[in-house]
Amino acid sequence: MTDTQWPRFMVFQQTGEDEPLMHNGTVHAPDVEMALMNARDVFVRRPDAVALWVVPVDAIYSQTREVLANQTGGEPGAGRTNKPEDYIVFGKLSEQAQATYLGKLRANSAQAAMNAAVEKFSDHNVLRWWVFPARLITRSQPQDIESMFLPALDKPFRLSTDFHTQTAMREIRDRKP
Amino acid sequence: MDMDQAEKQAFERYLLAMADDELILGHLNSEWCGHAPLLEEDIAFANIALDEIGHASTWYAILSEFTGKDPETHPDHLVYFRDASDFHSARLVELPNGDWAFSMLRQYLFDAYEMVKLRELERSRYLPLAGAAAKIRKEEIYHYRHTSAWIKRLGLGTEESHRRLQNALAALWPYTRQLFTPVAGEDLVVSSGFGSPSEVVEIAWREQVVPLLEESGLQLGHLSNLVPVVSRYDGSREQHTPHLKVLVRELQSVARLEPDSSW
Repeated sequence: MTDTQWPRFMVFQQTGEDEPLMHNGTVHAPDVEMALMNARDVFVRRPDAVALWVVPVDAIYSQTREVLANQTGGEPGAGRTNKPEDYIVFGKLSEQAQATYLGKLRANSAQAAMNAAVEKFSDHNVLRWWVFPARLITRSQPQDIESMFLPALDKPFRLSTDFHTQTAMREIRDRKP
Repeated sequence: MDMDQAEKQAFERYLLAMADDELILGHLNSEWCGHAPLLEEDIAFANIALDEIGHASTWYAILSEFTGKDPETHPDHLVYFRDASDFHSARLVELPNGDWAFSMLRQYLFDAYEMVKLRELERSRYLPLAGAAAKIRKEEIYHYRHTSAWIKRLGLGTEESHRRLQNALAALWPYTRQLFTPVAGEDLVVSSGFGSPSEVVEIAWREQVVPLLEESGLQLGHLSNLVPVVSRYDGSREQHTPHLKVLVRELQSVARLEPDSSW
């Protein structure tokens, strides 16, 4: 079946100045501007954030440790060389954890970036690697914090159990003849 | 606070109009929850609806405090146990939802109104109002960014999205005038430094929305020929659309079944 949805974007969120960016999920959007707003509305209503990135899913080159170890080679196209540019590296550090920002490096292809990442961040126990060109990131700006993120801090998160609807309904029922 | 009775009542009407507009619009927009054209926007539009109801609750609390009522309980009383005829909402926010373009454009026009009005109210001499305005405006800046992005995409999108948006504009525009109709006694609110003149808000609003609507490919030329539903000077928010009564009845139905229950 053909996918009639809009393109998907990976969402990365930073919850504090000293925290690394973490993968948070994906959103559909017709373009990067809407993707950033959708990311805010879907993921950052709560908890808090200081920065948000969206990256087209198609731009992310991903490999597991196993595939890299077996030297089975990358995906077709990942080795195509361009002018050297900055690549961002994320790594999944445990089965449960979301991918975490590890750093950036310069490379002339996704595959070269992946190989360089494995070497540069070898002290991390990475289960799955993600690399993508930094130029494809759409990021929130520092001046966005006030309108995009801060209002959420004043909104208490309530679970459905915080409302006493059932108790109230039961009382009403028992009161009725 | 050194105010006479007329000044106090005027300020109460001023606050009540603000609160009721936000409550009714937020309530109507919440109807889109589960029905918006895509999941992400379903969440976003429900967020915005909830934000507006939150703003209403802030204005009701400020009004309660101003009138010496309990800001914790009196807002509920105003929302759930007041007759529809005592609401001060503008007719623009009472109109039932139509298509997506209609609801999005109404929210956009209202966000622009709220954003420019809050900028004025940040300077209110009534400090609780000034403080809340400054806080809420930050959130409104995001609302405006979100809804204006949608208006541009609908206006410049497909033939169908453009047509629907243009139709929505023709339907909504005559109702916008009432947002800038001074509530009775507004001159007293202005002279006390508590609120700002509707005229100032209207000029700022037009400067905000007209270029954006034009940039979105909409035809505005004929709008000046549309007769406003209320003129700027008939003053009153006591006349409502027939829809308000139905909406308020539904909104209050559960609360009125068991007025003493605590939910």
